Amino acid sequence: MAVVQVSQVVKEYHDRGSAPVVALRGVDLTVEAGEFMALAGPSGSGKTTLLNLIGALDSPSQGQVRIDGRDLAGLSPVQLADLRRDRIGFVFQSYNLVPVLTAAENAEYVLQLRGVPKAERRKIVAEVFAALGIGELMDARPPQMSGGQQQRVAVARAIVAAPAVVLADEPTANLDQASGRALIERMHQLNHERGITFVFSTHDPMVLEQAERVVHLVDGKIASDVRKGGA
Amino acid sequence: MLLRLGWRNLWRNRRRTLINLASAGLGLALVVFYGGLLGGIVADAKQELDDAALGHVEIAAKGWHARRLLATSLQNPDELLKKLPLPADAEVSARVVVRALASSAHGAQGVLLHGVDPAAERKVAAYLRDVRQGRELDPADDRGVVVGDGLAERLSLSVGSKLRLTAQQADGEVGADVFRVRGIFHSIAPAIGKGHVIMTQSAARKLAGLPAVVHQVVVQLADANQADAVAAAVVQAAGAGVEAPTWGELLPILKSMDGLIGLIQWLIGVFVNVVVGLGILNTMLMSVLERTHELGVLQALGTRPRGVVALIAAESFWIATLAVALGLGLALPLVAWGEQHVLLDFSQAMGEGMEIGGTSLRMAFHTRLSIGGALQSAALVYAMTLAAGLWPAWRVSRLPPATALRSV
Repeated sequence: MAVVQVSQVVKEYHDRGSAPVVALRGVDLTVEAGEFMALAGPSGSGKTTLLNLIGALDSPSQGQVRIDGRDLAGLSPVQLADLRRDRIGFVFQSYNLVPVLTAAENAEYVLQLRGVPKAERRKIVAEVFAALGIGELMDARPPQMSGGQQQRVAVARAIVAAPAVVLADEPTANLDQASGRALIERMHQLNHERGITFVFSTHDPMVLEQAERVVHLVDGKIASDVRKGGA
Repeated sequence: MLLRLGWRNLWRNRRRTLINLASAGLGLALVVFYGGLLGGIVADAKQELDDAALGHVEIAAKGWHARRLLATSLQNPDELLKKLPLPADAEVSARVVVRALASSAHGAQGVLLHGVDPAAERKVAAYLRDVRQGRELDPADDRGVVVGDGLAERLSLSVGSKLRLTAQQADGEVGADVFRVRGIFHSIAPAIGKGHVIMTQSAARKLAGLPAVVHQVVVQLADANQADAVAAAVVQAAGAGVEAPTWGELLPILKSMDGLIGLIQWLIGVFVNVVVGLGILNTMLMSVLERTHELGVLQALGTRPRGVVALIAAESFWIATLAVALGLGLALPLVAWGEQHVLLDFSQAMGEGMEIGGTSLRMAFHTRLSIGGALQSAALVYAMTLAAGLWPAWRVSRLPPATALRSV
């Protein structure tokens, strides 16, 4: 079943007084449930732009984006926020945890937005933290944690509400190699064990090595779409 | 979690928050204190009419206040007073009022004779409670008078001196008699100190050739704001031959001043709050704009635009709550203390009293605590602080999350 469907998407950025910049030029992409895929390509190729469109963080200039079969065009800001809350998890390059909340509270925030009762929130968060091997970090604040620890908490926050797809924008870019590998392996494990769909944007060879499908973007177009294992 | 998050965000930049709190809190304290001081001045001017021998309501025969003729008098005053619906806690004194010439071996001076019941009069005339030489007037002493220190100085009078009083009687004859000075009072109103002579009602009537009448019944109320209602009830009970002007009609300037001071107080409140509000708006704007990226993250996680606004509103709520606690914590005890004690004393520099609008204002000021006024000012701080936070929050909430996330 397709979780993400992108059809003929064009994205242009307009800056006052300068010519429009075309970031995506007619992209078609379908992501099936349970995939562990990477969007690869050099800087400026349109990876993050595509991820933003899939994540309902931005709207295309032309074309169509569907999440779980639902066309994002015409949804109000509130409906888009609800869609992100219920169906999409995000992992950012620089973690982006809320610094005044503890690790557990950061993860709980998403559940609270969905109206999950406090006791259940604590239980779910504890279980996810344990699965990610960061159970001891529940009460730590982001400034007290290493980059690798923060990114694991960010992954916990992304998956805690069981989204349809987790979008990770350069998740290993700010981590050392060992931390990056450990993180990707843990995410891969979650993909296998829980069937969570992951879409990365990356140019980290280690992530590309782990990905089961790699889509290469060049100059805003898909240059190749390779599924490993002959699929 | 919203309030908890708002509270913690508040302390991310401790110095900025403390400056915000101090400006809003001190602004509120200033408004409440100033309101208390102005309220005290007005309340003193309205309430302390006994410094000027005035009443909140003055009952007289119709037309007396316009011309103050000897013949325009209230007949059977005791019976009249019995049927008037005056509040039980009102202070009431009936006067026979006669214009006269006071003379001694050292000079002469036009005066106003007040023929009074000394026990009742001392409750409505502050100066009779401030006899500085000799003694107060004895109700049975028809040969004695009490004079002001200004008149005593002018006519070189001392306790025991003879004072000759001459008055035109109601029938056109001239009445004259010699009295003995029993006491010398002090008044903060120079006109009273120089121009008032106090004697018994019977002595005044005899000098002016009057029957058992009075000219003026002075009523002082526990609450000056009741004056209109009391005056209306008095006129209704007493009938067409009686007038009962209130302090607002007798002292129109004081009445206008009351309204003007209320307006000034309101304007000052608005001015201070606008200045403080601009400061808070500036810091809230900085605080929100420098967290645009973080607010974009919260939107990416599924926070609705109004959730972003609510988060900033929570921060504004905490700033307002702490500022109100600080402001009221500083101002209310001071204003409450000033109700019982002289808070500001300008009498050394400006003299004991100042005549304003026909009454005398003491230059030693008290405050008047108005819980309602303080709560209004506090509500204004809440409204202003929330408004200052809402605008930048609204702006950020309208950004597409991707744009907010691109913000550094």
